[in-house]
Amino acid sequence: MQRKPIEIKISTVVAIAVILHDAKLSVLEAALKEITASTGDYYSEECAVIDVSNIDCSDMNWPALIQLLKTSGFHPVAVRSAPPECEQQISALGLSIDLGSKAAAQITETAVTESEPVPVPVIISSPPPMIIDTPVRGGQRIYARGTDLIITAVVNSGAEVIADGNIHIYAPLRGRALAGASGNIAARIFTMSLEAELVSIAGIYRTFENGYPALTAHAPIQIKLNGDKIDVVSIQSHN
Amino acid sequence: MARIIVITSGKGGVGKTTSSASFATGLAMRGHKTAVIDFDVGLRNLDLIMGCERRVVYDLINVVSGEANLRQALIKDKHCDNLFILPASQTRDKDALTEEGVERVLNELIHMDFEFIICDSPAGIEHGAIMALTFADEAIIVTNPEVSSVRDSDRILGIIQAKSRRALNGGEPVKEHLLVTRYSPKRVDAGEMLSFQDVQEILRIPLIGIIPESEEVLSASNQGNPAIHLKGSAVSLAYEDVVGRFLGDELPLRFTDYEKPGFLKRIFGAK
Repeated sequence: MQRKPIEIKISTVVAIAVILHDAKLSVLEAALKEITASTGDYYSEECAVIDVSNIDCSDMNWPALIQLLKTSGFHPVAVRSAPPECEQQISALGLSIDLGSKAAAQITETAVTESEPVPVPVIISSPPPMIIDTPVRGGQRIYARGTDLIITAVVNSGAEVIADGNIHIYAPLRGRALAGASGNIAARIFTMSLEAELVSIAGIYRTFENGYPALTAHAPIQIKLNGDKIDVVSIQSHN
Repeated sequence: MARIIVITSGKGGVGKTTSSASFATGLAMRGHKTAVIDFDVGLRNLDLIMGCERRVVYDLINVVSGEANLRQALIKDKHCDNLFILPASQTRDKDALTEEGVERVLNELIHMDFEFIICDSPAGIEHGAIMALTFADEAIIVTNPEVSSVRDSDRILGIIQAKSRRALNGGEPVKEHLLVTRYSPKRVDAGEMLSFQDVQEILRIPLIGIIPESEEVLSASNQGNPAIHLKGSAVSLAYEDVVGRFLGDELPLRFTDYEKPGFLKRIFGAK
């Protein structure tokens, strides 16, 4: 079979969101130093999306900001929610403009402020869950974008399964599972046996260096976020 | 229809080449025309274990790069008339192994009416290992009963799922078989070694055989004699079972239980 010189396919890249709450570079620099303890390669060239929706960036020195993030090991690829007047400058620096989840956020907001007594069905089209029937092996990474991930086979150590929604694993989880990857704090992870290296919900993670909670040994469990703490409870628990 | 089988493991030193030699020999002894290719470019080993190192003139890279034809490079086995060895090059760079070249060699072997083509993969997950598995119809994953070997086997299974031609073309996936080698029931019994059930619980692919740990394998390899020729030995019988199961025979597992030596045996020290 002859292979084409170029193939164009849709591909999902997992990126870190750098959400700025202050426009002053000196403040950001100090905060970054505190996080990374001045280690340059702390984020080891992770792709980063700079989210500026919470700050006024009309006076932003974009080249300096990008340089600052680069020194901390980020690899900025896009700016999310940038004001229109900055777009040209950002594009000139080689970064793309990400419109972010504005559209989706607006739909949810209208749904919440709905005060009509008659329930009006709000249809938010979400993609169907992703279903995987083969073992996820060391070195493999699966991302269910904008949806739930259902795996009917084992997730082995060294594997990474990621979903914007919930993750269901009907077999042992031995690798890493990251649910609510785009910030959904209500996302949960379910597995028949917790033997994981790491679990994370909405960016908050937990490792099990000192062993697994006693109740969970080889029993079906669920993992959920409780404040800023990750809880591991029985699958039957309703607390 | 010819079947291309890759023997791979991820980790080195687990018995890939030993298993390739014995498996290919076993298939030939059952009457099938078989070729075994050494993909370990730079570290030629298969020809030593097959005892044909003095007859190597041309190698896989010579054929891939068109410097020799396949018939010149294939070496006929000293025991079996229908077994041929295609050795690796010791002097060339492994990048000389191109995908197109490998595909051409495999197609030529198929046209020469080989029924089974065994690809002996190098260790690791680099180019040579990828080339060995790219065109495979089936894979035999050689694993020792210890955690790092099992983890590397898991990794290579993932790579087969992602990079083999069958996976890329979206056809029927590569058929996977687990071969546990250097198995010591005594050490499993003492809790020093993973049991084959433990290995299977992690890898979750069908078991094609268990080869017991044996000192005889080393001396057989040193003499250029595939272990399957050690008539009557446990290793030889275990490899014959593997070949039988591969060809569809239903055979129970052997050499998996540890029997404590009896009183007399301990006194007289029978081996």
